[in-house]
Amino acid sequence: MSNTTEQVRKSLKARYRSEKRFRAFGISAVAFGLLAVVVLFTDIISKGTSAFVETYIQLDIHWDPAELGIDDPTDPEQVNYADYDALIKAALRERFPDVEDRLERRALYQLASSGAGFRLRDQLQENPDLLGTIQTRWILADDDVDMFIKADAEDRQNTRLPEVARPWVEALERDGHTDIQWNASFFSKGDSREPEQAGVWAAVTGSFFTMLVTLALAFPIGVAAAVYLEEFAPKNRYTDFIEVNINNLAAVPSIIFGLLGLAIFINLFGLPRSVPLVGGLVLTLMTLPTIIISARAAIKSVPPSIREAALGMGASRMQMVMHHVLPLAMPGMLTGAIIGMAQALGETAPLLMIGMVAFIVDIPGGPLDASTVLPVQIYLWADSPEASFVALTSAAIMVLLAFLISMNTLAVLLRKRLERRW
Amino acid sequence: MDRSHFGQHSSSQFNEEMESIRSHLMEMGGMVEKQVIDALQSLLQGDSELAERVLENEDKVDALEKLIDGECARVLALRQPAASDLRMIISVTKCVSDLERIGDEAAKVAKMSLELAEQGESPRGYVEVRHIGNHVRTMLGDALDAFARFDVQKAVDVAAEDNEVDLEYRSAMRALVTFMMEDPRAISRVLNIIWSLRALERIGDHAKNIAEQLIYLVKGKDVRHISVDEVARQADVTRKK
Amino acid sequence: METAQNLTDTARTIPAARMAQEPEAMNQKIPYPEQTIGKPLCDDPKMSMRNVNVFYGDSQAIYDVSLDIGKNQVIALIGPSGCGKSTFLRCMNRMNDTIDICKVKGSFMLEQDNIYDPKLDVVELRARVGMVFQKPNPFPKSIYENVAYGPRLHGLANKKFELDEIVENSLRKAGLWDEVKDRLDQPGTGLSGGQQQRLCIARSIAVSPEVVLMDEPCSALDPIATAKIEELIDELSSQYTIAIVTHSMQQAARVSHRTAYFHLGRLIEVNDTNTVFTAPEHALTEAYITGRFG
Repeated sequence: MSNTTEQVRKSLKARYRSEKRFRAFGISAVAFGLLAVVVLFTDIISKGTSAFVETYIQLDIHWDPAELGIDDPTDPEQVNYADYDALIKAALRERFPDVEDRLERRALYQLASSGAGFRLRDQLQENPDLLGTIQTRWILADDDVDMFIKADAEDRQNTRLPEVARPWVEALERDGHTDIQWNASFFSKGDSREPEQAGVWAAVTGSFFTMLVTLALAFPIGVAAAVYLEEFAPKNRYTDFIEVNINNLAAVPSIIFGLLGLAIFINLFGLPRSVPLVGGLVLTLMTLPTIIISARAAIKSVPPSIREAALGMGASRMQMVMHHVLPLAMPGMLTGAIIGMAQALGETAPLLMIGMVAFIVDIPGGPLDASTVLPVQIYLWADSPEASFVALTSAAIMVLLAFLISMNTLAVLLRKRLERRW
Repeated sequence: MDRSHFGQHSSSQFNEEMESIRSHLMEMGGMVEKQVIDALQSLLQGDSELAERVLENEDKVDALEKLIDGECARVLALRQPAASDLRMIISVTKCVSDLERIGDEAAKVAKMSLELAEQGESPRGYVEVRHIGNHVRTMLGDALDAFARFDVQKAVDVAAEDNEVDLEYRSAMRALVTFMMEDPRAISRVLNIIWSLRALERIGDHAKNIAEQLIYLVKGKDVRHISVDEVARQADVTRKK
Repeated sequence: METAQNLTDTARTIPAARMAQEPEAMNQKIPYPEQTIGKPLCDDPKMSMRNVNVFYGDSQAIYDVSLDIGKNQVIALIGPSGCGKSTFLRCMNRMNDTIDICKVKGSFMLEQDNIYDPKLDVVELRARVGMVFQKPNPFPKSIYENVAYGPRLHGLANKKFELDEIVENSLRKAGLWDEVKDRLDQPGTGLSGGQQQRLCIARSIAVSPEVVLMDEPCSALDPIATAKIEELIDELSSQYTIAIVTHSMQQAARVSHRTAYFHLGRLIEVNDTNTVFTAPEHALTEAYITGRFG
């Protein structure tokens, strides 16, 4: 055995050891990351799933015109402004006739959600014949009742439901007059002070309009800038300067963009506050560097031989870009754009600066209606004192995560679909 | 062009192959020259032992011919030579066959020498043999020298010499034919001398061919079958005579 | 005997003695010729270049080159790497326009037209002077689309059947038709290297150029594919004028009628291919052709 082989053999063991160590570091790093994700997801899911269902109580509603204060059922005005809460109160009194004390009665009335009357109104408007009849109806319960029903037997002591109301709820539960149903309003309503009525839909539409504005502006501008810088711009000091600045811009804290938007779009141009248009403009500024950088990388990855071939065939610079470079770079650019969008979708700080943190009940109908966005909604709910908002916050986070995951999936799918393997 | 020209390839293997071909050619040239000298000597001195040796050595010349041709074929196949390398290979293969023919002619002279040793000396012709033999021998030596040194001037001179050899050969023939007519008894012996002269004249032609191949090798111009003046013009040299 | 004494002087018959008489080797540098050696010009030129100087920024890539390319002739540009042969080739259809620091001086004439005339559109020029590149670079489209690209771009065919005809003819000329006629809609990049290169040739001849420039078209191909391309070049030379840059001297010898030897930006020698490869006139050409450059 030669001297070299001996030396190599000696060093081999040490090398194997260090290799193993290195691999172990890598595996533990990945494991740590995965663990963090698993913990986060289980926490959010365990807290949030209860918000997707809500509790109803069954009551016999007597559509008493006198109680409602309706003397002419054909008058929509009267039907609209009638006192539907009175019907529920009456039904509750009927159900629990023993409750006489004024304070106890008030506690009894609070078993039903303050918004429950609106649903009765909707039903009456739909079917005026109900007037005067007695119907069994499922009435949305107050969030305290909801929490009490959803809680385990031991935990019920700690809920916020007042002591007096507990036997009533338990009685309803015993008789099978409570039910846990799918919380459709979570996906169809705007924000509310009442957790059981609060929904995420206003935030989702707000996010949608904001993203629409961002995508419509950032993608064409980003691609155009990237194409110009890669294919047409002369390589000189100015373009170098621009390139450095684009790279720097990508690293600027997002709240700075919010301040910029506030100063320019709202104060200088006088655009309204809290609207998706301004939010979209600000997020456009924020995502542009990301899109430009990824689009440039995608354009750079188009083999120069294709460009030469096109030029050699007599294509002009523009035709070369349009016919060959852009189609080949498109998957890369789309992926970059979608990742930029995902980043923008999760962005809160700059939107706080331009007033999208407002309390929005109505579903925005367009990019010029005041609205909020998902991450801001999450921020708002996380800040609210009611215990039920904890579940709502987690549920909203799940909605946001679902959006992000589906956008990233879309990015992967688009890439797979458009990427030409030939 | 000089000798180092063939030692400058990027491939040292190629250099060695070319060098080997060249030194084998020179070896063969030396051997053939020796054969010619020995054959002439055996004829002039009636040395039949020497003549036998010439006939024996003939095989060695043939073996060298085969060896060099094999090497040339190898270079052609493996190196795809171009320009001067290509011309080198082409002219070497041609020179080799010329040298082999010279060897054959020398063997013929040696055979005649043996015949004469048996039949007795020829009454006439030795002066012509010595004269033409010397001339041809110098030509051959000069041609090989020219080849060794890539000396175009010398090659042109050799080509010019051949004409003189032809003239000498013709006048010798006339003299010998006249003698045979005068003395028919000596015809068979004189004929042996004539065959030898014929062989020597052929050796001169082959030496000229070798010189022409050298001009082709160095100048890249085919100077066969043209007048000596034209050869000199094409080879860019002035004629001495 | 006196003569016999003379004859036994056999010193010179010993090979070593003979070879020892050789003169000393001359190891000096070979100078450039003052003018291009051989026949750089010809009678009926398709393209004629005069006093061409090309600069990349401050460094000069080509020094005062004059060269004619005859009609329906194949001219091979050979020379060691960095000798300017590719640069010169690319100047002939202004592919160097895309390089900002590249400055071209001198005249390039394509028959009566000045190639560098600002009035001559580069699109028109490239329709007349096609180019085939070193690496087969078919577009990532179907075989049909690859060939149809040029005619579409220049509006050579308005109807589908005209285009079909052009595509078929070009593929036939490129010797590729029989191999691909059943899969014209399949990606051009799915072909083998040699087929791809022939597809690129078909693509360039689809616009019926007058001159086809080839920049080392076979350097990425195996010998069989190379042989097919060479055969194709030979066939095409009856209709097109071809200038080919190659690193393979054997290839230059096989396909071209004339050979131009470039050395460090200078055009050293132009001659019939035959002459260049058997008896080049200049020592630099000789040295390159016989493999004497490191």
